[in-house]
Amino acid sequence: MARMKFICDAERCIECNGCVTACKNEHDVPWGVNRRRVVTLNDGIVGAERSISVACMHCSDAPCMAVCPVNCFYKTEDGVVLHDKDLCIGCGYCFYACPFGAPQFPQAGAFGVRGKMDKCTFCAGGPEKDNSKAEHEKYGRNRLAEGKLPACAEMCSTKALLAGDGDVLSDIYRERVMRRGRGGDLWGHATAYGRPDAKATGPILQSIPQKS
Amino acid sequence: MMKLLILLTGLVVLAGCGEQPQTITAKPGTSAAKADDVPYGEGKSFADRNAWQLQLRARADNQNEYKRVN
Repeated sequence: MARMKFICDAERCIECNGCVTACKNEHDVPWGVNRRRVVTLNDGIVGAERSISVACMHCSDAPCMAVCPVNCFYKTEDGVVLHDKDLCIGCGYCFYACPFGAPQFPQAGAFGVRGKMDKCTFCAGGPEKDNSKAEHEKYGRNRLAEGKLPACAEMCSTKALLAGDGDVLSDIYRERVMRRGRGGDLWGHATAYGRPDAKATGPILQSIPQKS
Repeated sequence: MMKLLILLTGLVVLAGCGEQPQTITAKPGTSAAKADDVPYGEGKSFADRNAWQLQLRARADNQNEYKRVN
């Protein structure tokens, strides 16, 4: 059984917000709701600035599912955490429980009335019929049923944001770390433009044979 | 007057019978959401789970540019 997951490589994310834009466009997400957002730490500090793209992480033991008073959440056989908007009462418990701030609430009327919760669906729609009008209106496009991965990850220009089966993502990320090294090897002129002396690349990079 | 009082008392008591349950029916640990259909099968883009998973696997692998370039 696949476990659908996201991973964001902080060394690659350039805070372009392409993932945020792709998500909003793909699902016609209303104004004020951001299913995905980019968080930047150490903003402006040279060498220490890091950005990551954050949305629902489709937790294996999701706290939102545990606290929902109407049990509107469910998990697909591939580990995607989804919810039924017809049951959601917009109480906001899931927002308080979520460590990533993923649940979003549209302003449903005057005086700040909170609407039904909206969150990242891993582009898997909801409990309505796949790719139906009702599903699109409530949850957005169902790319997974089309055999496609989430739009945010597929649009990512630097491939910082990866989506798919957790095992596949682990392999990709592991290979990256092995090739690019760590610590001082990560950042600098040599990383960007190549190293003049192959022997100076360090034992980690030398451990993987590279094609010429 | 007494008849009216008995009638009113009866109406008040009967009003309780028409009360709708106010409690939620959700049970802890079980989802109350509608059943979601699987993303493959008859009438879908992919006939079976295996074909669907192979497609997603190929897409996921394609995110590895080391494989794409080399």
